[in-house]
Amino acid sequence: MSNKVVVLMRKAPYGSVYTAEAFRSIMGIAVFELDISVLFVDDGVYALVKGQNPAKLEMKPLGEAFPMLADVQVQELYVHDESLAERGLRPEDLVMEVKVVSSTQVAQILEGADKVLPF
Amino acid sequence: MKIAVMILEGPYQHQAADSAYHFIRAALARGHEIVGIFLFADGVHNANQFINPPGERNIARRFDEFGKQGIEVTACTACAKYRGMMPNIKVEHVRLSGLGSLADYLQKAERFVTFGD
Repeated sequence: MSNKVVVLMRKAPYGSVYTAEAFRSIMGIAVFELDISVLFVDDGVYALVKGQNPAKLEMKPLGEAFPMLADVQVQELYVHDESLAERGLRPEDLVMEVKVVSSTQVAQILEGADKVLPF
Repeated sequence: MKIAVMILEGPYQHQAADSAYHFIRAALARGHEIVGIFLFADGVHNANQFINPPGERNIARRFDEFGKQGIEVTACTACAKYRGMMPNIKVEHVRLSGLGSLADYLQKAERFVTFGD
């Protein structure tokens, strides 16, 4: 069975546990035979912003963790262009190079997935 | 069809566990196979055997019942630790296991359905 999994990041990195759990789940399942890509939309794009300093929230900065995904063979990271623009962000503001995709492409990525894990 | 389910929210506060329950029942009634139910993040609270809502649906008992029927119901071990969900607190037919089970369900299932916020 083809197992293309898209992890959908929809939420801001702090304020709730979803982004951290999504990251943890990617690290946890990437060692198995799954073809994983990660798609950042809505407030999910904040997860990749450079220079996060959540020390006062007693949280670890999540942004710096995402480049580590390459080490577990998760290479495909997509960021929705309108979600970035709506938040005054540019691709240069992100911790790593990602593929910036349109709404149409977001739909295609989701349509092409066998499974979607929404967080 | 082989279906796996993930639940990201705890009982009573949020609709997710209830919706998952009704979805699973409906899927089983239609002859589908549930290859696994993964309780992730606050979802692990749905397996607390001490849940005891006076006069109301008992959500933990519902998931225990699925486990008793032979459906694999797994609560994430790490999430359980974070929330003080000791093995002796969980209902009998829910097991504690890691993200390997999530990967296993993703591999086995033809459809993967998440209930969360």
